[in-house]
Amino acid sequence: MTVKVFALSTCPYCRMTRKYLDENEVDYDVAEVDQLAGQEREDAIAEVKNISGGTSFPVIVIDEEVIVGFNKKRMKELLDL
Amino acid sequence: MSNSARPPKRRMFGPGTTIEDLKTYMGPFAASLGYRFNTEAEFVDEVLASELEILEATGDVYCPCRIRTGDPKEDVAIICPCIPFHREQFAAIRKCWCGLFIRTDVSDGAELLGVMDEPEAGTPIDIPVCRVSDLKPGSVRHVKVGKNDLAITRVGDEFFAVSNICRHAFGPLGDGVMEGYELVCPWHGWRYDVRDGTTDHPGSDLRVQPLFIVNEYVMIRTSA
Repeated sequence: MTVKVFALSTCPYCRMTRKYLDENEVDYDVAEVDQLAGQEREDAIAEVKNISGGTSFPVIVIDEEVIVGFNKKRMKELLDL
Repeated sequence: MSNSARPPKRRMFGPGTTIEDLKTYMGPFAASLGYRFNTEAEFVDEVLASELEILEATGDVYCPCRIRTGDPKEDVAIICPCIPFHREQFAAIRKCWCGLFIRTDVSDGAELLGVMDEPEAGTPIDIPVCRVSDLKPGSVRHVKVGKNDLAITRVGDEFFAVSNICRHAFGPLGDGVMEGYELVCPWHGWRYDVRDGTTDHPGSDLRVQPLFIVNEYVMIRTSA
């Protein structure tokens, strides 16, 4: 299972999401989109728009499934916690 | 009106802007839209502290949970309080995206932290469009609800909503004037009866939507 989190350094729900994953010892990659610059930032924004349909954070990708927002219930289901 | 009844003066953004300054001007504006600060005071301070960091870095209080894309049209919709740009979505989740604001009818904001359950398709959503006291009898104003542009009017204590766009030349009816139950387009004077949207011009009636009052707010119903 692969887990990727698109986050913002300023976003409380992004912090809650990461804390929740950390507490449950889930391995994940994280991209702090607001900390990126130039082309890297543009590419990350384009990817977030493409997979989530918007620019709201956090965006959590668990295998093929996409969760927008700190949705503990949905993460729990998909991660089988 | 006494001094104490006046809304607090808006503070300018600039060096030294504080969390209290943001609360002072955002609170009354959010109230006019049917929202108030989250009851979780620590969470509110955390979000506003993030907004101050963003203010320093960018010059405005962008939502800490959304990203600026550089497109002015997109970015204006994430300047806090961004409720008017997302009325439908926020009414459905009963808070703004980041949870800084909750609907006035939510008693405990803690219950909504970390809850992103959007209602199932077809579920009715009641959306506050303005405060009753902000729409004077005989007045009309433009309100955007989701993708719909509406002109909302008040005749005595009756409230009406019609499409904002005149069927003649697409004039903005929200800028028009009311004469009795007739809304007069500001561009060429076409007239519509706001009770049923009818006009004398054949085939040009407007779509109408019912409004209703809950507590001190004018509401409109849509569905998810």
